[in-house]
Amino acid sequence: MAEVTYDGATCIYPGAERPAVNALNLPIEDGEFVVMVGPSGCGKTTALRMLAGLEEIDDGSIRIDGKDMVGVPSRDRDIAMVFQNYALYPSKTVGENMGFALKMQGIDKDERARRVREAAKLLDLEEFLDRKPRNLSGGQRQRVAMGRAIVREPKVFCMDEPLSNLDAQLRVSTRTQIAELQRRLHVTTVYVTHDQVEAMTMGDRVAVMRLGQLQQFASPTDLYDRPANVFVASFIGSPAMNRFDGTLTEDGIRLGQALIRPSSKQLQEARGHDQLVVGIRPEHVAVSVSGDLTVKVALVEDLGSDSYIYGSLADEPDSNIIVRSGRDHPRPGEVIKVSVDTSHLHLFDAGTGERVGD
Amino acid sequence: MTAIAPPVAGAHRIRARSDERRRGWVRRAPLLPALVFTIIITQLPFLVTLYYSLESWSLVRPGSQHFVGFANYAQVFEDSQFRTTALNTVIMTVGTVLIAMVLGVLLALLLDRKFLGRGVVRTLLITPFLIMPVGAALLWKTTMFDPTFGIVNYIFRPFGIGKFDWVGSFPLGSVMIEMIWQWTPFMMLLVLAGLQSQPKDILEAASCDGARPFAIFRELTLPHLRRYIELGVVLGAIYVVNDFDAVYMMTQGGPGISSANLPFYIYQRAFLGFQVGQAAAMGVVVVVATIIVATFALRLIFTSFSGTEQAA
Repeated sequence: MAEVTYDGATCIYPGAERPAVNALNLPIEDGEFVVMVGPSGCGKTTALRMLAGLEEIDDGSIRIDGKDMVGVPSRDRDIAMVFQNYALYPSKTVGENMGFALKMQGIDKDERARRVREAAKLLDLEEFLDRKPRNLSGGQRQRVAMGRAIVREPKVFCMDEPLSNLDAQLRVSTRTQIAELQRRLHVTTVYVTHDQVEAMTMGDRVAVMRLGQLQQFASPTDLYDRPANVFVASFIGSPAMNRFDGTLTEDGIRLGQALIRPSSKQLQEARGHDQLVVGIRPEHVAVSVSGDLTVKVALVEDLGSDSYIYGSLADEPDSNIIVRSGRDHPRPGEVIKVSVDTSHLHLFDAGTGERVGD
Repeated sequence: MTAIAPPVAGAHRIRARSDERRRGWVRRAPLLPALVFTIIITQLPFLVTLYYSLESWSLVRPGSQHFVGFANYAQVFEDSQFRTTALNTVIMTVGTVLIAMVLGVLLALLLDRKFLGRGVVRTLLITPFLIMPVGAALLWKTTMFDPTFGIVNYIFRPFGIGKFDWVGSFPLGSVMIEMIWQWTPFMMLLVLAGLQSQPKDILEAASCDGARPFAIFRELTLPHLRRYIELGVVLGAIYVVNDFDAVYMMTQGGPGISSANLPFYIYQRAFLGFQVGQAAAMGVVVVVATIIVATFALRLIFTSFSGTEQAA
C-alpha cells in the first residue's frame, strides 16, 4: 500500500522525435485504482513501465511512498507487474510461478506454499498448481499472472492491458473480478488499457493520455460529464460524442443553417471564443418533429433495448451525427428533425480544443 | 459412366490400381540413383569391414589372408592399448564438449548484450570454427605451443616459464585445448540462438519479482537453454569422437599412445601396423558402441525438443 506520484516524469526513447511520456504529473492516492487510457502510441504503457522500473526516467521523478525511484532497479521497488501476454515462466509450474517472488525474497518453503495456496484459492487455481503454463487456457494463465502479483503483497500493482488477450465474454467477467479483488486487497493499482469501457468501469480515477501528454485525470463520471478538451470528449463514451463546428452569435450558436440556444450562463462563458466546437452526446439528442436540426439518416443500429441513428446534417453532408433513439426508429434515407438538450451542451474553443466554461 | 457393368468396373479398378503403382514408381524413380549411391558408399564398406574383421590379414605378408572367425574380436578385448585409447577418446570427447559448452554459454551471454563493436567481436569469436581442422591443429602445434617461438611461452615468459614443451608434456591436454578452441564457437552460436529466443517480458517479469541477474539465469534462462545445450552436446560429441586431424597433426597419438583416440589407433593398426583384420574388428566394436550411446543421446534431444512447447 502506497502513494505513487509521477512528478514531471519524462521518458525519451533514443532517436525518437518527441518524448514517449512528456512531463507527466499524476498524484495517485494510497489504495486507489487508476486507469491510464488512450490510443496506441499515447505513452500509457511507457508510463507504467517507468513506474515498474523497466524504462528509464529521463527527467522528473516517480515517487513511491515519497521515495524517489530514479535509478532504483525493478527488484527493489516492491511492485508487481501483470503483463499483457502474462509472461509466465514456462519452465515452472503454476505454484512455482506464483511463489517465485517469495523464493527470491528468501521466504521458506512452507510459508511460500501456504501463501501460494491462499492466493490460488482466491483465484480458483488450486487444482492447477502442479501444471505447467503451457497446459492452461488463456483465462487460467491470466489468473496465474494475477496470482503471481497478489502473492507478493506488493506496494503497487502495475497491470499492462491484462485482459486484451481474452475473448469478449471472459474479458467482461474478469474485469469485474479484478476490480473487486483490488477493492478487497486495497493495493494501489495502475492499470493500462486502450479500452475506454474498461477505464470507465474499473478505475477510481482515469488518466487520459495522448501523444505522451496527460489530457485529463479525473473520475469516470467527471470525464464523461466534463471532458477537458475535444480529444477526451471524443475518446470517452461509446458511441462517441457528436461534434459540430459552430459560430458564436448574439443569441446562440449557429451550426450551418440551424441556431441552437445554450443557457445564458454558457453563452456568457463562451464570449470571446468566436469559433467553437459544439459537443452533444448521442443520448442528449432526440428525434422530435419540432427539432432544430434536420438530419438525413444513413444507417440505423438496432441494439434491442434501443437504437443508434447515424446520419449527417441535411445542409452539411460532410458532418456526422449519432442520435440515440428507442426501438421505434426511422429508416435509412429518411430525413428527420432532431432536438438538442441544450442543458448538456459541451463547448470547446475551435482553435485550442480546450473546454469553454464550466 | 453409370452404364458400365460390374465386371467391367472390377477390371477397371484393377487397372486403376496398377496405374497407381506405376505412377508411384515414376515418382520415386528419380530418387533411386541417390539411394543406390548411398547404399554403396555407406553400407557396402561396412559389410566389407565386417567381412575383414573375421579374417587374419597382414598387408606386408602377401597370401596371409585367411578366415579366423572371432579371434580378432577376442584380441580387441584383450588389447590394453585399445582400452587406453578408448578411455582417451572418452576423456577427450567429454572434456572437450563440456568445457567448450561452458565457454560457449559464457561467450553467448556476453554477445547477448549490446556493446560497442559487438559485430566485430562476434565475427572474431566465430572464426575458429571456420578454420579447417588440419590448419587449426598446425596453428596450435607450431604458432601457439612451439617451445622456442610459440606464443604461449612468449606470454608466460614473464612468469618464469622458459622453453616449456606443452605438446610433449601434456599431449592429451594440448589436443583437447585445440579442439575446445575449435568447438567453442559452435556451442556459442547454438546457445546464442537459444538466448535470443527467450521472450524479454519473462526476464522483465522476473526482475519485477525481485530476482537478481544470477537468479534469473539459474531459475529461468538455464532451463530455457536446456534443449539448446543438449543439442550442442550431442552434435559436438558426434564430431569430436571422430576427430582424427588434431591427433594426427599435433602428436601422432604420442608419446606412445598417450594422446591417441580410437580413430587414430585404428588407423595406426591398419596402415602402420598393416593388421587389416584387427583394425576392422576394432572398427566394428567402435561402431556398435557408438550406435548404443548415440541412440540414448538422440532420444534425449528428441524428447526435449518435442515434449516442451513454449508457453505463449
